[in-house]
Amino acid sequence: MKRTASRSIVAVSVLLAAGTLEAARRPRYGGELRIETRATPRTPDPSEAAFLSYVFETLVRLDDRGEPEPWLAASWTHEPARKRWIFTARQNVKLHNGALWAPGLISVADDQPIEKILRDLARPRNAVVVRAEDGSPVGTGPFRIARWEAEKSATLTAHDEYWGGRPYLDRAEIRMGRALPEEALDFELGKADVVEIPITDLRRFRQRGVPVFVSPPSEILALEFEGTLANDAIREAVALSIDRGAIYNVLLQKQGEISGALLPLWIGGYSFLFATERDVSRARQLASPPRTLAFAYDRQDAMMRAIGERIAVNTSEAGITMRPAAGTTADVRLERLPIISRDPWLALEELASLLKIPWPSAAGTPYDAERVLLEGFRVIPLFHLPDAWALSRRVRNWPHLADVWLDARETP
Amino acid sequence: MTFRTKLLFISSFTVAGAVALVTGAVSVSTRRSFERIDRERREAMLDQFRRELDAQGQDVIRRVEKAAASPGVQQIAAGAAEYDRAQAEADAASLDFLDVLQPDLTIISSAHWPARFGYKNDWQIAPEDWNAADAFLTRIPQPEGSATALAAVRPAAGGKGYVAGARRLSPEFLKSLGLAPGLRALLWLAPHEVVDAKGGVRDPEKLDGLIAEVQRSGRQANGVVQWTADRSSSEAFVAFPLSRRGRLMGVLLAGASLREQIALERSILWTGVLVGGSGIAIGVLLGWWTTERITRPVERLAAGARAVAGGDWSTRVDVMSQDEIGELARAFNHMTEQLLEQRERAIQAERVAAWRELARRLAHELKNPLFPLQITVENLQRARHRPEAEFDEVFRESTSTLLAELANLNTIIGRFSDFAKMPRPQFESVDVNEIVRVVMKLHDARFRAGGRPKIEPELDLAAGELRISADGEQLRRALGNLVLNAMDAMPSGGTLRVRTARQDGGVRLEVSDTGQGLTQEECARLFTPYYTTKHHGTGLGLAIVQSVVSDHHGKISVASQPGLGAAFIIDLPGKQGDPL
Repeated sequence: MKRTASRSIVAVSVLLAAGTLEAARRPRYGGELRIETRATPRTPDPSEAAFLSYVFETLVRLDDRGEPEPWLAASWTHEPARKRWIFTARQNVKLHNGALWAPGLISVADDQPIEKILRDLARPRNAVVVRAEDGSPVGTGPFRIARWEAEKSATLTAHDEYWGGRPYLDRAEIRMGRALPEEALDFELGKADVVEIPITDLRRFRQRGVPVFVSPPSEILALEFEGTLANDAIREAVALSIDRGAIYNVLLQKQGEISGALLPLWIGGYSFLFATERDVSRARQLASPPRTLAFAYDRQDAMMRAIGERIAVNTSEAGITMRPAAGTTADVRLERLPIISRDPWLALEELASLLKIPWPSAAGTPYDAERVLLEGFRVIPLFHLPDAWALSRRVRNWPHLADVWLDARETP
Repeated sequence: MTFRTKLLFISSFTVAGAVALVTGAVSVSTRRSFERIDRERREAMLDQFRRELDAQGQDVIRRVEKAAASPGVQQIAAGAAEYDRAQAEADAASLDFLDVLQPDLTIISSAHWPARFGYKNDWQIAPEDWNAADAFLTRIPQPEGSATALAAVRPAAGGKGYVAGARRLSPEFLKSLGLAPGLRALLWLAPHEVVDAKGGVRDPEKLDGLIAEVQRSGRQANGVVQWTADRSSSEAFVAFPLSRRGRLMGVLLAGASLREQIALERSILWTGVLVGGSGIAIGVLLGWWTTERITRPVERLAAGARAVAGGDWSTRVDVMSQDEIGELARAFNHMTEQLLEQRERAIQAERVAAWRELARRLAHELKNPLFPLQITVENLQRARHRPEAEFDEVFRESTSTLLAELANLNTIIGRFSDFAKMPRPQFESVDVNEIVRVVMKLHDARFRAGGRPKIEPELDLAAGELRISADGEQLRRALGNLVLNAMDAMPSGGTLRVRTARQDGGVRLEVSDTGQGLTQEECARLFTPYYTTKHHGTGLGLAIVQSVVSDHHGKISVASQPGLGAAFIIDLPGKQGDPL
């Protein structure tokens, strides 16, 4: 009996403990999340900062695999007779000012394939923004803009009548234009819950047990040539002289991925087809006689500086001296370019636009387009890099802001 | 240049040369003394530099050993630290350069060039440098070039790999040398990278020649560098190569300012110039006084000689000394005395000869009429015994003859009297061409006289008037004599040509004939009074011409050759001075 009683007490205790643990892990509403970012949007334009996608929504959204899915538009049908697509607005969507979002008939000409139309509609710049009487932008997302100080800070508050359900957080305080060391300091002092960190610091944070979040590769690190000083042979020599492996293993601490392609493997699926091997003897042949190129990179960014210096060391073996120079007078510059879309076409088009390379309209596949874009080595892709965030221990479900909640058991 | 001037120059140059020689000798001696002192000071500085280099080397070794023993380096060597961890270790050990190396010298982490991980260390480290007791100089590559540094190598704690650390040779290193005033140490580290204790050196390219000499020879070299246009900015350098295994790591330049030396040299130079200038001035004065004493007798001799040459044979010079100059003066005086005696003898001889000639001419002239006089008187004496009518006839004839001959004698005597009584010329403005025309007109009848060969007159007169200041009557007389002379020279006829022309502000009058001409001896004696080549002449015609020309301050000459005629040329001045 005593043994049975003891077993019962233990069983009850275990059940009570399990119940308490379950309660702690269950999302809870409320709280303020403090975020810091380097981004400096001047206006609440959805295309200027990622967090604004939680304020202004698009008709169509790309899922994690890059496939379009209905969002503010619940469905779409084709009218061949009138050569247009009709998009049906989602019901019961309320704007941040309490008004019902009733756009009426939404039609798009069918002069392009529907896939392309949907990808375009998924772009942040095509988000639904309604102008209030005072001219301020009003959205439909889970958060509304309560305060906006251009390039400095913004306060987002929960949209209680959000069609997808109220977000867990009451408020998100966002400090913008923060330098990485400032973000790190604020994080260490407990003044921020979420900060960006360089991927080169990932190991240090992990060694300390700090929760970090690493996204799939979201930007490309590449060399971009300008002017005519470097011809095709010189550019190819530079590409062949760079030891990507050493940079990846040591400087990037094996974060991201080595790549000779513009799109990362998870978006394009073919990046391994582009060569990344080093061939110094061939590079030396191509670079003969020795050349000097003005080389620009962001010397304030420790990672960029380290990679730039390493590239200069690599190319010097091939007889190419990369002399540090100001960005305006450079023959070649080391660039970080964002990959703004999970859709390969959208991402490639955006990269081509950023790199000012003519778009190969005849290309049948993203792979074909990329082959054309990279001809002549005007751009030399080096690595695809992820975003990395350090999180305070109370933050849960990052990075989807609408799903983030704060664990009350953890101190801020 | 006069003898006095030459003597002055010689004495001045002698003084100036002596002063320059002394000044130069003092300057050279001073410069050598300075150079010797500077060389000693620079050698001392080099010794001090070597000692300081040793001390700094020991310090580097201590720092590298400290780094090699640090836990951080052990982590790096074990591959358990970030690739740029060496920077923190270098800062902790106060090293400018730090490489943590694998046993095969592959860089694990580099403090000064983090991007070089995975590459071989390039500090020219040889196996004997591992665990070497001493530090060594080397060139360390950097992104911006390379730096000269004092390096040491030690094994990393735990036996995995090595630690190579170094400190840059910098201005601070040179400051520690504590140099004497006027001395300066420079470090050439790379082209156009030269530092001294204060930092970078301006115009480092001025050292290129010296550095190139050190690079070429690999040995110590000397040179002087002038930093600015001012010569006192010059600095004498000894360039000492800092080499290792035949490779030049840097050059230590021990410099000594030449400012004081140049200032002293300038002072000596100016003193020399001052002394030299004073010497020259004194030399000039002394030379002037000396040469005055030496050249005055010589100048007197020269003046005497000029006077003798001018015709004053009575000139004498004072004999002021008993030396060679005095002897020369005595010889000069003796010479002029001899000349005077000889001239007196010549004049006396000439006078005697003239009198003899005059006597002969007078005898000849008087003899001719006297002989008929004598015959006539003797005829009268003989006719006294003849009948009266016959005597009367003889008497009339004889008296006529006597009168004629007496008139002849009177004429002869009158001519001589006229020559003796040549009047002084009365100068007035006359036209020479007009005088020529008048004279030629007077003799025109003679030119055309029958019974004798014809003489053709030719006039070649200058255009316009030829006015000069002259006595027209005397000029007509002289020209008439020359015309008569020419006519006499052409007994077989010929051409008599008279030409006038302007000549040096005066007039040239030329009378020429086409007669038998004159010998040289005749030409020489032609103007001697009473000399004539004619049987009936008195020898006074040309003498009168010469007298007239002389009274007009003119000049007469004759040009003739036997058989080719003769030409008498008279040059007369346009204006007359004081009358003779």
